[in-house]
Amino acid sequence: MNIENTASQMRKGVLEFCILSIIKQGEAYPSDIIDKMKAANLNIFEGTLYPLLTRLKNAELLTYRWVESNSGPPRKYFMLTDKGAEFYKELEATWFELANAVKALTDLEQQHSFNNSPDNNQDNNFNNS
Amino acid sequence: MKQVININFQGRVVPIEVTAFELLKNYTESLNKHFANEEGKEEIINDIESRIGELFQERIKNGATCITDDDVNAIIKSMGRPEEFADLDDTTSSQQNANTNNTSSNNASSSTQTQSTGHRRLYRDEENKILGGVCAGIGNYFGIDPWIPRIVMIITGIGFVAYLILWAFLPSSSNKVIGGVRKKLYRDADEKLVAGVCSGIGNYFGINAWIPRVLFLLPVITYILGRGRWGSFFDIGDLIRVALSPGSLIIYIILWLVIPEATTTAEKLEMKGEKVDIDSIKNSVMEEMKGVQSRAEKFGKEATAFASSSAQKINTEVSGITKRNRSGLGDVIAIIFKAFAYFIIGVIGIIIIVGLFAASIGSIGLLPLKDFVVRDGWQNVLAWGTLVFFILLPLIGALTWIIRRIAKTRANSKIIRWGFGAGWALGWICFFAFFSVLLKDFRSQNKVDEELYLSNPKVSQLEITSSSTESKYYGKRWFKLQSFNGSSEDSMLLGNMQVRIRKATNDSFRVVVSRISNGIDAAQARGLAQKINFSVNQKDSLLISDKGFEINKTDKFRNQHVVLTVYVPVGKKIKVNRNFGWWDNVEIDGPFVNEDSKDDYWNNEYDNYQHNWDRGKTYIMREDGLYDVDGNNSSNSKKGNTKVSIGPGGVIVKDGNTDVSITPDGISVKDGEQDNYRYDNNPVINKTLDSVKQSLINQQQKIKDSLEKKKQEIENQLNKIGGGTNDEPNEPYRISSYKFSTIDPLSTLN
Repeated sequence: MNIENTASQMRKGVLEFCILSIIKQGEAYPSDIIDKMKAANLNIFEGTLYPLLTRLKNAELLTYRWVESNSGPPRKYFMLTDKGAEFYKELEATWFELANAVKALTDLEQQHSFNNSPDNNQDNNFNNS
Repeated sequence: MKQVININFQGRVVPIEVTAFELLKNYTESLNKHFANEEGKEEIINDIESRIGELFQERIKNGATCITDDDVNAIIKSMGRPEEFADLDDTTSSQQNANTNNTSSNNASSSTQTQSTGHRRLYRDEENKILGGVCAGIGNYFGIDPWIPRIVMIITGIGFVAYLILWAFLPSSSNKVIGGVRKKLYRDADEKLVAGVCSGIGNYFGINAWIPRVLFLLPVITYILGRGRWGSFFDIGDLIRVALSPGSLIIYIILWLVIPEATTTAEKLEMKGEKVDIDSIKNSVMEEMKGVQSRAEKFGKEATAFASSSAQKINTEVSGITKRNRSGLGDVIAIIFKAFAYFIIGVIGIIIIVGLFAASIGSIGLLPLKDFVVRDGWQNVLAWGTLVFFILLPLIGALTWIIRRIAKTRANSKIIRWGFGAGWALGWICFFAFFSVLLKDFRSQNKVDEELYLSNPKVSQLEITSSSTESKYYGKRWFKLQSFNGSSEDSMLLGNMQVRIRKATNDSFRVVVSRISNGIDAAQARGLAQKINFSVNQKDSLLISDKGFEINKTDKFRNQHVVLTVYVPVGKKIKVNRNFGWWDNVEIDGPFVNEDSKDDYWNNEYDNYQHNWDRGKTYIMREDGLYDVDGNNSSNSKKGNTKVSIGPGGVIVKDGNTDVSITPDGISVKDGEQDNYRYDNNPVINKTLDSVKQSLINQQQKIKDSLEKKKQEIENQLNKIGGGTNDEPNEPYRISSYKFSTIDPLSTLN
């Protein structure tokens, strides 16, 4: 097991959810999506985004329209379909379920380590806060 | 100073440096490869390209005069290389699987799952490899520890071959590295001496061009140096021999024909396989960090580059077929099928090439013998035609094809292909014509018998010995075409000679020399047989015979052979001296009757391995065959060789000619020529007891016999020790033992 790998697996797992949530907030252009993700400190390669968008579109979760740009050819702007909105809701529910579960578990873990090693007291406090 | 070109990229005109354009091209190619199995491939790549175009435009808008390598690298960095988002496919699909499990009632998610199942591919895993990464790749593919396939590979016998084939045909995971220009084999026009082949090879392997140069020149140098030894005349056979030695003129010419010359800058870069820019440095650093990648490994990778690309193509096709049921099982079956097909193709290919090599080397080795077989005129022309068009041409063709594939040059002109095809067709015609013409010359066989005059046919013992001790004859059976010590410019010694020991009808030895030859008709065969110069003569108890005979280039080899039949009277002794011929050339197990009616037993299957027969040993002729001095039958299992087999049918005892089988039906005895008779169930026992008794008596007799022999031997030894004073008139061993005792010390003194 290597840490980078696991971490990137975790990130990838929620990637679709993140993309859908960005698009849900309003029509989005791929580089907007990237920028927003970067702003949220979630770094992915643009090359990863395009196939994902295409797949979501093929799954009829997304749709797009061409928007004329003032510089060069028109751009694709993505938005959620009804199906996509439904899908997003499901994902959201799952996500919070998962997040709560993870939080509960990690809290438990911290409690545990707190009990066992009082030296880490400060750290744990920091983490909990 | 860099060249700048204008390209039309996604509807935008973009000025770009040539090297940057190469980078861009490689990148898009890698994307194409990566998304080859993706459903919306065109769209994805289009999206990415248009985004790149946008970024280009941004840069130019910001005041850049053109797109540079750095720009492209930066863009690639932000877009990511395919290998950096390679395993996303797997994880998204598994994630969606999880979703489906959670919300199986949801239509949307299930449809997503079916539509976007990532297509897993079998790659050689370059990062976790030990040898070629095959097992690591398989482990990756099935999600198991690579040590499982490794151990399976090692344990199963086919592992090794299968590994090599998979190594060759599986695409490497590092093939997906972008920007790193894959090396190709080009002729280096800038540093050429003749055609730039050697310097190109030097570039390819990263070695000094003089290393391949010297390797290529070595055989030529030795040829020139050796010419004095071989004679000053120019011999095409010598030339071909040199041409086929490794690293020679012809191979150079093949390479010259096959390898394209590096003319454009891009090709020159590909030839060197590296770029002098940040990207290449980064790549090489990445490579170093990946682990030990020696030059040799690199070569292996390059050699499989073709294989991997074509495998990818076929994989695309296969996956196209299996797209409808893109289940893991279908995929696995496709891969197994593919691997199996490649395995067969690979094995066949290797066999063909090895066979061709062996045939060419073998036929070239036979060249000096050609003149002894092949007549001038048509036969000669056809022989050369067979050699050149049937053997050498396909060899050159196969080599050319392989090198072309490695060098990835596909510009295989139709003329060359048709030329090869036509040449090989001609080769087949030559091959069949040659052998049919040649076989005609062997069609008839004739035999000339000569009864040898023996000055003293009543000797008690005859020892067959060789007239010379120098040359040795090896090999078996007929059609021995080895040249021996005696081979010279226009004559060759043949060892096609056999001795047969038969029982004589009267009390005197007889020796018959049969000269046998094939020929185009009976008359010619007879003529050739008569020409065989083979001499035998008797000198007291010695029968001095040639071990072989000569043929010459005018008479040719037409399967001439000699059979020396020695008829030994009952009670007389025969011995074949150790210096005489090869053990196999003596046949003792023939019918011990006169078989003059039969022409040629040469090709009769006889097998001295089953006999107790050996050279340098004295044998006595008895009514029923040869026995050695200990009384053991020398010929095939006639006596004293009892086989008992117990099977479902009962017990079967075989002793020489006698078969006894004990079955629930009763006991039956089959004895040689006599009619079969069978005992009924009950009265049998007495008779069986009788036969057992009889066999016991026989055994006793045998033991007695052998004891007597031993006694004789001991007496014999005593005689020797006593200096021969204790004379026995009928002592037959005196001569031979005397001879040995004198010859041996002499030879040691000398």
